[in-house]
Amino acid sequence: MGFRQRHAIPDLGVGVGLRSPHVAHVLRARPAMDWFEIISENYFADGGVQRANLERAVASYPLVPHGVSLSIGGADPIDEDHLARLRALAARIRAPWCSDHLCWTGYAGVDVHDLLPIPFNRATLDHVVERVRRVQGELGVPFALENASSYMEYEASTMAEQEFLAELAERADCGILLDVNNVFVSAYNHGFDAEAYIDAIPADRVVQIHLAGHTDKGLYLLDTHSDHVRSEVIDLYRRALRRCGSVSTLVEWDESIPSWEVLSNEAALARSVRDETLGSASKEAAWRASI
Amino acid sequence: MAGVDLREVQRLVVEAVMRPEPILASGSPGGVSLLRPSARGMTREGRLEVYRDQFWQRHVPSLVEDFPTLRAVMGEATCDDLLRRYLLASPPRGWNLQRLGAGVPAFVAAHCDGLAHDVALLDWAFMEVFDAPDAPPLDLRALASAPPDAWPLARITFLPALRHVPTSHPVVALRVAATRGEPWQRPAAATSRAVVWRDAACFLHAADVDPVAAQLMIALQAGQRLGDACASVAALYPAIGAEAFDANVGTWFQQWTANGWLSAVEV
Repeated sequence: MGFRQRHAIPDLGVGVGLRSPHVAHVLRARPAMDWFEIISENYFADGGVQRANLERAVASYPLVPHGVSLSIGGADPIDEDHLARLRALAARIRAPWCSDHLCWTGYAGVDVHDLLPIPFNRATLDHVVERVRRVQGELGVPFALENASSYMEYEASTMAEQEFLAELAERADCGILLDVNNVFVSAYNHGFDAEAYIDAIPADRVVQIHLAGHTDKGLYLLDTHSDHVRSEVIDLYRRALRRCGSVSTLVEWDESIPSWEVLSNEAALARSVRDETLGSASKEAAWRASI
Repeated sequence: MAGVDLREVQRLVVEAVMRPEPILASGSPGGVSLLRPSARGMTREGRLEVYRDQFWQRHVPSLVEDFPTLRAVMGEATCDDLLRRYLLASPPRGWNLQRLGAGVPAFVAAHCDGLAHDVALLDWAFMEVFDAPDAPPLDLRALASAPPDAWPLARITFLPALRHVPTSHPVVALRVAATRGEPWQRPAAATSRAVVWRDAACFLHAADVDPVAAQLMIALQAGQRLGDACASVAALYPAIGAEAFDANVGTWFQQWTANGWLSAVEV
């Protein structure tokens, strides 16, 4: 039985990231949206407006926490306070799963608040597998790791990122949040084949897909979440859907955040792509995911 | 870099990412040797520079947002330079970006004038109350039934989301002007006490308070019973007189209740 079936991971449809400029509208007007993803750390506090908003949002929408600071690939010990707050948050909003990034964020207590790439080799893999097992055992809900976009590669890497992520997910028995835009960005920056990456990800472990826009900086692409999803990324999304089937999809937009109308239209576009793609491929994908 | 362990990789990358000057302009850090050049012609230094640039673009604006009055008082360029120096002296620690500026008031005290320190204290108090723990609202019905002779033994609890800001200038009006982008005038030095708090609807406020009232609040927050707190603070201000002091306490208590500052009164 596949990971999604084993953990009864639901297909929530197509959602968007819940960000400050839209919170008041969402809480007041309750616009149609399948689900929202929230940045976990923004809701770790013991009080205040964020916590109050969360209580109201969870009454109307499925919410999934997505973290940026667990530093699962870090050499420092896992931050027990962070982990405890994540566990409490997941329980409070009855999260169907929660996620963070395959990356590290700091060293020796210093946190640079960025998603830094790890060397993809056997030693790092062993290290991260152990930490994911530990986190997953503590959380009480399924845990998924997202492929982060990256702008540098290490001489010490001996494995392709997708090979590392696939083996990590199998050995640690965790889910994968497949960020299709990040695949595109990193493929451009590092010169690998984005389609081959998608094809190498174990489909049954993909619990969620991310879509976002990026910025062309000339020599590299920067994962800015500041624009519409590019057509090349939509093509990759179709490929991912054909492999993975009915998987929850989330549109991220974090800079130059547009009006609610523009954002919800972006989600509607993703929904139409999903419906069109899964209309012909859902049976095959469902079969693939079940084996 | 074969043989370099994960700790060493991460130490070198963090050192490079936190450099204040662009990597190409400041000499190749050790982390450069860990990297491959990109297939698209980016140098190793250029690849690290993406992360270094992001570090400063992420943290300086975050602090700028947290200290609007400080920036208005110091001027944008001077304040941004100060915040960059603060980040170098106090690198971010822990996941919580909301706490990034915890050391700014002390850093400002060491490098700037008294007004800058005062507004930094006020700005930081806003950050602290923003996500301080919630508290249930005060049950006023229980107070109404309390016999008069029970009040001296009362213990009064204030909101967790309330901070005292002792300053050498009155700065509440300055913050209001700064956050609205309105013109402001440098206030004359004067011992002042401000209270910053979050109300039940999660709106943030600041108000100047009578320094004697502030002292009484602090005594109560330290756990003293109302009668003991009044006696200890009144003894510091004999010129007020016992009768006037008692009348003031009644007025202050009404103000505290009206502002929603009390979370519990144990009588």
